[in-house]
Amino acid sequence: MRRYLTLYWYFLLQRFKILLEYRANFMIGASSTIILQIAGLLTIWVVMGQIPDLNGWGFDEVLLVYGLITLAKSINHMFADNLWTIGWSYVRSGQFDRFLVRPIDPLFHLLADRFCHDGIGNFLVGAALVAKSTASLGIAWTPFNALYLAVAVLSGGAIFIALNLITATSVFWITESIPVTQVIFNTHEFAQYPLTIYHRGIQILLTWVLPYGLASFYPASFLLGREVGALAWLSPVVALALLVIAFRVWLFGLRHYSGTGS
Amino acid sequence: MPIIQAENLSKVFRIPHKDPGVAGAFKAVLRPRFEDKVAVNGISFSVEPGEIVGYIGVNGAGKSTTIKMLTGILMPTRGNVQVLGRDPHRQRVANARDIGVVFGQRSQLWWDLAFIESLNLVAKIYEVPPARYKQLLDQFAETLELGELLRVPIRNMSLGQKMRAELAATLIHAPRIVYLDEPTIGLDLIVKERIREFIKQQNRAAGTTVILTTHDLGDIEELCPRVIIIDAGALIYDGPISTIKARFGKYREITFETLGDASACAVPPGAEIVGAEPRKLTLRFDRTLTTASQVAQAVMNAIEVKDFSLAEPDLASVIKQIYGGALREPVTP
Amino acid sequence: MMQALRRRIKVYGAFAAMAPKDYFAYTAWVWVEFIAQFLTMTIFVHFWRAVYANTSTLNGLNLPQTLNYIMLAQVLAPLVQTRTIFQFGFLIQNGQMAIELLRPVDFQARVLVDTLGWLGMYALLKTPLLLIAVILFGLQLPTSPAVWLAFGILLVLGRAVVFYFDWIFACLAFYTTETWGLSVVRVGVATFFSGILIPIAMMPGWLQQLAGAMPFAQAIYVPTSLLSGIASLADAPRVLLIQLGWLIALAILSRAVFNVAIRKVTVQGG
Ligand SMILES: Nc1ncnc2c1ncn2[C@@H]1O[C@H](COP(=O)(O)OP(=O)(O)O)[C@@H](O)[C@H]1O
Ligand SMILES: [Mg+2]
Repeated sequence: MRRYLTLYWYFLLQRFKILLEYRANFMIGASSTIILQIAGLLTIWVVMGQIPDLNGWGFDEVLLVYGLITLAKSINHMFADNLWTIGWSYVRSGQFDRFLVRPIDPLFHLLADRFCHDGIGNFLVGAALVAKSTASLGIAWTPFNALYLAVAVLSGGAIFIALNLITATSVFWITESIPVTQVIFNTHEFAQYPLTIYHRGIQILLTWVLPYGLASFYPASFLLGREVGALAWLSPVVALALLVIAFRVWLFGLRHYSGTGS
Repeated sequence: MPIIQAENLSKVFRIPHKDPGVAGAFKAVLRPRFEDKVAVNGISFSVEPGEIVGYIGVNGAGKSTTIKMLTGILMPTRGNVQVLGRDPHRQRVANARDIGVVFGQRSQLWWDLAFIESLNLVAKIYEVPPARYKQLLDQFAETLELGELLRVPIRNMSLGQKMRAELAATLIHAPRIVYLDEPTIGLDLIVKERIREFIKQQNRAAGTTVILTTHDLGDIEELCPRVIIIDAGALIYDGPISTIKARFGKYREITFETLGDASACAVPPGAEIVGAEPRKLTLRFDRTLTTASQVAQAVMNAIEVKDFSLAEPDLASVIKQIYGGALREPVTP
Repeated sequence: MMQALRRRIKVYGAFAAMAPKDYFAYTAWVWVEFIAQFLTMTIFVHFWRAVYANTSTLNGLNLPQTLNYIMLAQVLAPLVQTRTIFQFGFLIQNGQMAIELLRPVDFQARVLVDTLGWLGMYALLKTPLLLIAVILFGLQLPTSPAVWLAFGILLVLGRAVVFYFDWIFACLAFYTTETWGLSVVRVGVATFFSGILIPIAMMPGWLQQLAGAMPFAQAIYVPTSLLSGIASLADAPRVLLIQLGWLIALAILSRAVFNVAIRKVTVQGG
């Protein structure tokens, strides 16, 4: 474990050396995600400016939900973005074979290989939204609230990573996993808004099947004093369980890869 | 005690079957079909420590697939393989510490990093002790002339520089076996020469076992006392290079530069035409059936000859014959 | 002269015919894009229903109108995605750009034919999505053939407008290696200002002006407004003229910019 942490640190250092060399690219990359976020936020702003509330949720309350999911997403974006590109930049190019002849875990190698600076933009947007909305809503930054938020965001990030890992594993069967990852990942957009605007079936899907809701709606509800019961506390447990499942799926895919080479 | 032992090694790929055209593409979407592709077919061989073995065959013969099974990347469909007494697939990580792999055209180094940074990272991954690392680095820097390359990012290197860097990175953890999959592809003669020298030296000094696939017969002639030839996934020859040469060495080639039209000449008995141009004729003859002077005499009688030369067959033409089917019956050395 | 033209058309035709095949080679994408669009459509329908919970009109649009528009825009949404800058970056980094330029057919024309060629395929592929929207969410489609025809023209021309814009934008790849970030910026801006997320008519004035100053609405908002019933057929000729203006201006500009940018390759040798 310590070995992997120092190695990760090393990979990260090297990555930053590259990023510093291409400073312009770094800025473009990190700010590009901000621009993408602005599109979504402008929509909410335009629409919410014309109506008093969305299903009982005010503008700032919606922003809190949106900010939480964005923060969780940014964790995945910064630390596990290679799960998206595993197909074209690793498996099809043959680079993945390289990981398999190195004496470290191939999944670790894959994730450590590229810290994705684009995610920083998402992180900043998410943090700004949470800061703005909590301030406007008068949610105090007590140690308890801060800790609760940190756990919620990290668990949310883990949920994103686990689901992406499961879908990325399809690369070992279809040589390009982006399509599959995209479909599952896209459902997180439901969780950008309060789940109450959806049909019951969708709420169940976002809570129990693809639990992105645990990263945004439930923690936000808890902080806002809306009653969601035990679901306010479930995200770390679910995140851990999902990670374990995802890793097993990945190992299964890896076995298939070495069986078929595709 | 062999360091590598392959028994009846086979690899079968299942590949999706596609009919041509839009309709075919549609069909592939709705009901995918698969067919089997046998890439490696029942290959057995063993390699002793310290050997350099040339593994050769035409494109698609199954060389890379074999290497992938030996390195633990792929699991054999049938048969089994032992490397240093381990199953390279099941004990992949343990195996990885003891081997180094070069895949010809793709680099293991980080594109944008200065070469020395890449090397440091590789050394960290393989946990090379710092003192040892420094010593090997100095040694490689000298033999591969890396000195001025250390600060250069890989992306700015020429093909030859890249390959030298690649070799250094592959051997920096002093592996006991290195697999080189087409290491000299696309390189110029001087770089090739240096790389061969380096491989030889590693083999001599550190006793590193080397498995080398190549299309370059110069590599084979200079490096590999032993070759394994495969064709369509099956082994067709395993033995010393000298045996092949001796077996095909009974042929000689004689080239005439003529004043008149060379095609007017009848082919003397025991010889056959290998190349014919208007003013140039190349014949190959079997030394056990005829002699050089008989062939030359016959040609000179038919046309005016300006000059002629006699050549031993080079390995290239021998290999060409082997791929062409001359070895369909496997020879035992 | 005629013969040369005919040969040209034939070569371009071959490229156009290739596009669908390429697409099917990427089987999975067909399904994925479909599902992703369906998901987003579902989100938007619920979102807008919640928005209209306490009001009957917003900026003069009622719920059925807005839903109609939003669903159709979602069907067309992938059309403002772009690969051009990515492709440029790839071609430049591999030194392939020079090879593309050496081919006997005009590079830009070829890519344009490719892009428009695949619009036809696109229409075919997305028909089921329209049907699903009709059945599940009550999408209403016009019955007048004239509306469909006008829609088709506006869509093709609008896509061409965006194509020429992308061509100009992609020339940035000659000056930076960060093509990924640039495509994200481009997609982010286009997503909002093409009118995929909200009808442009619903935006505040200054945003509407911004949207009008950008070409993206030509490919989504303009044709979709007509098909969804927000805009009337009588308005089509005026809209068409504006579109043609965009098209001609950007076509000329794209050639000029490309010719300047390409020097970067010829001077530096890739
Ligand atoms: N992952 C794979 N899936 C399907 N077929 C493969 C795969 N890898 C190799 N092949 C096929 O197996 C055969 C042997 O390939 P390879 O070992 O790469 O040959 P070589 O290295 O001798 O050129 C080829 O016909 C190739 O197309
Ligand atoms: Mg090969």
